[in-house]
Order: sequence, then structure tokens, then C-alpha cells
Amino acid sequence: MKKAALIAGLAAATVFGAKGFASDLFDRIEAGRYQAVLADCSACHTRPGGKPFAGGLPLQTPFGALVPPNITPDPETGIGSWSYADFRNALKTGIGKGGKRLYPAMPYPAYATMKDTDIADLWAYFQKVEPVTNHVVSNQLPFPFSIRASMIGWNWLNFSPKEFQPDPAKSAAWNRGAYLVNGAGHCGTCHTPKSLTGADKSGEFLRGGSLQSWYAPNLTGDPHKGLGSWSTDDIVSYLKTGANRFDIASGPMAEAITQSTSKWDDADLQAVAAYLKDIKSDGTPAPQPLAATDPAMAAGKAIYLDRCSACHNSTGAGQASLFATLAKAPVINSTDPTSLIRVVLQGSQAVATTARPTTPAMPSFGWNLGDADVANVLTYVRNSWGNAAPPVTPGQVKDLRAALKR
Amino acid sequence: MPPTSSFSRRRFLSSTGLLFLIASVPGARAAEHSGTLPWKPFAALPPEPLPGGRWYVLTPDEARTVEAIVDRLIPADELSIGGKDAGCASFIDRQLAGSYGSSDRLYMQGPFVAGLPTQGYQGAETPVARYRDGLAALNKHAQAQFSGKNFFDLAAAEQDQALKDFEAGKVDYKPAAGFFNLVLQNTMEGFFADPIYGGNKDMAGWKFIGFPGARYDYRDYITAHNKPFPLPPLSIAGRPEWKTGDKAGGN
Repeated sequence: MKKAALIAGLAAATVFGAKGFASDLFDRIEAGRYQAVLADCSACHTRPGGKPFAGGLPLQTPFGALVPPNITPDPETGIGSWSYADFRNALKTGIGKGGKRLYPAMPYPAYATMKDTDIADLWAYFQKVEPVTNHVVSNQLPFPFSIRASMIGWNWLNFSPKEFQPDPAKSAAWNRGAYLVNGAGHCGTCHTPKSLTGADKSGEFLRGGSLQSWYAPNLTGDPHKGLGSWSTDDIVSYLKTGANRFDIASGPMAEAITQSTSKWDDADLQAVAAYLKDIKSDGTPAPQPLAATDPAMAAGKAIYLDRCSACHNSTGAGQASLFATLAKAPVINSTDPTSLIRVVLQGSQAVATTARPTTPAMPSFGWNLGDADVANVLTYVRNSWGNAAPPVTPGQVKDLRAALKR
Repeated sequence: MPPTSSFSRRRFLSSTGLLFLIASVPGARAAEHSGTLPWKPFAALPPEPLPGGRWYVLTPDEARTVEAIVDRLIPADELSIGGKDAGCASFIDRQLAGSYGSSDRLYMQGPFVAGLPTQGYQGAETPVARYRDGLAALNKHAQAQFSGKNFFDLAAAEQDQALKDFEAGKVDYKPAAGFFNLVLQNTMEGFFADPIYGGNKDMAGWKFIGFPGARYDYRDYITAHNKPFPLPPLSIAGRPEWKTGDKAGGN
């Protein structure tokens, strides 16, 4: 009798133990799935319409093309033969299995700040991803960039791996925001200007960067070309729904919002906003706007009234949640007009999120406006209604038009 | 209650069954989209105007005749330039060079039955053929009436007389009135169509009647009652104010 009770007790304990372990693993996989959303792994590692994480579209870097590899647990063509240590090393040191050096197009300088617990969760998740056989040749860089060992020098120059250290003087939300922006969110990969070697310029964190013929605007508190005029709610709404009372996301940010930030927890978005609002601007004063009598301004105004005002309004006010506000908009006042030229030439489709599935689109004006027309209308937009930014030249439009048509 | 009509349940089922069969034929040309609406960069269906400086369909003599006609239909006066200077003849020539001239986009098989005047032209000829034929007949009429002179060499009053004869059908050419109305219609189109199609030079027709052109936003002015609309007319290709006049900045 006693023995039977003992056996029954043991059996129950085993069952409960196994159950406890299973739910723990489930939680870890779910937590890892969320880490993959935060880090937006699929942005690079999944082709549009392709199998999740089975390898992505080539990234055009200033040094040549890199193809994001297959990171499904396929043993031959994915990371199925990797150990947790290999995985952790890749994220935290930029060195993959067998000492293979990663290129920093994989934002390991950002992921290096992630906590080990988060990386372990991510690993738990990636082991449960469907394995896909897809051989990817990642390194398509020209010589000498094709030599992976050159990254030893790059890392020595540009990379000092350091896990995130909270600032006890700041709030918990601020610290969570700083952890997400600097780590998994890797916002600086696009929004921080790059040096000649393609590394983040030190001391210019989130002051705006160019990549793949887009310009990722300044995210500091700069009131003119940064987020100074946006409230925390504006930032949260933008990241959650793709739109706020001023702006609608397009281009690569639209993808980042659809696939990543729209799925973040609201508390995390609030934390990001709290942190971003606290990043000081570089302090450069806003430039003086061009005089309305400037010939480019006069021509630009005529084009604006004829081609733009029907949606964006003659005062640049736009229409909330449909047409972007142009007056006092950070991206309009950015020193680099690449995104603006691009959107006028090829048109733009707004982001689709669960909250805002409509995707209002701007038509292409590339067929109707010549290089000087695009330059003049943007010069007018960038120097009206409180905006002030350097004029756009026909040469800038010509070059981008050629690059986009290629 | 027994069914009183001949439309029985059985017939209803078999006829709706047939409908279903038709509706589910594979290859029905309907597109289905889910998720985000499709969108492509640089998507546009711009008009493709023919470059000027040449005649596409009309022979040089035919072109001179059309220029003479359009200048009588819309003579230059203190209100506007005439049909010739406005480019109505080159508008007509370029329209004849396209699908309009060859009736490519119309059903052009028989039977050909005389319709009501409100139904427009119902014959088998294309506009190109009607112009060729009609211009030759007009010239023949001019030569017969005015001692062997071509239509384009006549004085204005003589040209008016020849055109009036055609309009009234008082000539030995059965389609005369129809031809006159065709040219009149096309001349008005050339005078008021967007300048990118060859006529309405410098938007003269629009300035004449005060039409603001290819605009689509009047929100700033809709409450400004009894005030003239301040912006000049606008072509699909733009307007002169778009250019700075500076060679380096222009294009």
C-alpha cells in the first residue's frame, strides 16, 4: 500500500515535472519569437513571399551585395548544425560557427548589447522554426571586401562588444527603451550616419543616415529636423500603426513597421518613445529659409499648386491619416533630400498595419516632372510654411533617377 | 397548394445550376487580391503625344486645305488666335494617325444601316478615309466654282461660300454635310483639347473661355464667390510658370 502510494506519487511528480518543463519551454519559445519580432530578423532573412528565415533578398551596401543567409535549423544550408554558443557568438561578437567572420550588415554591433537571457530565448525559438533547404551564397562582395578576415580590422576599429548597462538615474521605461533602441531594435543601423568604413559615426547617434537610396531621418530631439515636435503618443502611434497626426511611413520604415514595430508591446513602444524624446539634438540652429522671390521658389510654388496641393493642401497641412503633413515635418527639413526626391519620382505606398490597412498611395511624378521641376518643387516645400532646408539641385534628381531606374 | 405557374422548382434548380456552372468557368478574368493593395514604383499611364514638326497622315496639300478650313471655322480676331495658329490642323493630323483615324477601337463590321442624326456617323469609312475623300471633294468643288483654284488659294469669302455649300449639302457629293460636321467637330476639339495633343497652342482656347485647365483642387477658392479664379490655365505638361527661365535650372 505504502509502495503503491509512493509509485503513484512519483508518477504524478514526473508528469507535473514534465508539464512544468514543457510550459517553461513554450514560454521561452514565445519570448524568443517576440525577440525575433523586436530584432526584425525576417526583414533581411525572409524573402518577400518566401519561407520564413530561409534567406533574403540581396542587401546593396556601399561595398557590394550581401545576401542574408538561411537561418532556419536546416543542418546543411541553415544553422541546424550550430550550437547555442555558435549562435550567441554570432550575435554578440560577429563571429559565426567555425570562426567565420560576419559582415556588420548583420547588426551584431547592436545585438552585442542584448542580454544573454534574450539571446537564449531567441535560440529556443529558432530551433522550432521550420527547417528549409535553401543554399545561400552570402558573400557577393568584390575583392578585397570579400575577404572575411578583413572584419578583424573592422571590428578592432569600430566594435567594442558591451552588454547594455542600465542607467540607474533614469526611469525603468527609459532604460527599457534604451535597451530596445540600441539592441534588438537596431534603430541606429539605418538612422545613425555612417563613416567611410560603414560603421556608426561616433557621437552622431540617430542623427539620420542614408542607405539604399533612402534617407532615414534624425530621431533626436532636434525640433527642426528631428522628433522634437512629436509627442510620445505621436511616436507610439507612428510605430504601432504606421501613421500619426503628421506623417505616414513609407519605404524601408514601412516594412519595419509592418513586420516589427506594429507587433511590439505597447509598453515597449512607450519605452522607446520615452528614450527617443530624451536624446538631445546636436544643437545646430535651423537654417534660414530661402526667400519666396527666389526663381526656384517661384517655379516650385507653381508646380506645388498644380501637382501637390490637392492632397497635401496649399498650406502643407496634408490630411491626417491619409496625406502626410509637409509643414514643419522632420523628414522635409532633413539636410539630405534623398527620400523626398525618391517619393516624388517613383510615388509611394503608405504602410499597411492591422490598425490602418488602407495603404493610401502617392502617384509617381517621374513621367511628368523633369529633374529641374522636381528640384524646384522640393526646394519650395523645404522652404515654406516654417520649413527651412538646403535647396535641391537638378543634378541630385538626375542622379537618383538614374540610380532608381537601374 | 400545387404550383400554378409553369416555373417549377425543377426548372428553377436546373437554370440556377447552369448559372453556377457559367460563373465557375476557370479562367474567368477576375483578379483577387488579399493583404496589401498591389503597388509598383514608377507606375503611370502617361499620355504619349506625337512629336510636332511634321505631318503624319495628311499630304502637304491636304494639310494646307485643313489649315485653310480651320482658320475659317475659327478665324483669328481680337479675342483669340485662329484655328490654324492654334494648331487645330496638326491636332487633326495626329488624331488621324492614332486609333481615332483608323477606328481601331470601334466595332467596324457590318451591317451598316443609316442611323438617326443623334447616333453619329454609322458608315463603313474610317475618319482617315473620310478626310481623304472629303478634302478631295471640297477641292473639286472649289475648282469648279472658282475658275480652277484650289480651296486653299481662295479668298476668305470664297472659302466661306464653299464650306457653306458643303454644310448645306448643296454639292454633288453625298457625304458633304457629314464631312463638314466631322471637320467642325474635330476643329473645336483641337482648339480646346490639352495642348500636348497638338492644338490649343499655349492654352489659347482655355484662356479665351476662362477654363482653368487640368486642375483638380479648388478648396481654397470654393467659398470666394464672385471673384475670378486667380491661377492661369494648366496643361497636363505643365505651364510656363513652372520654369525659372534660367537655362541651368530649366529642362
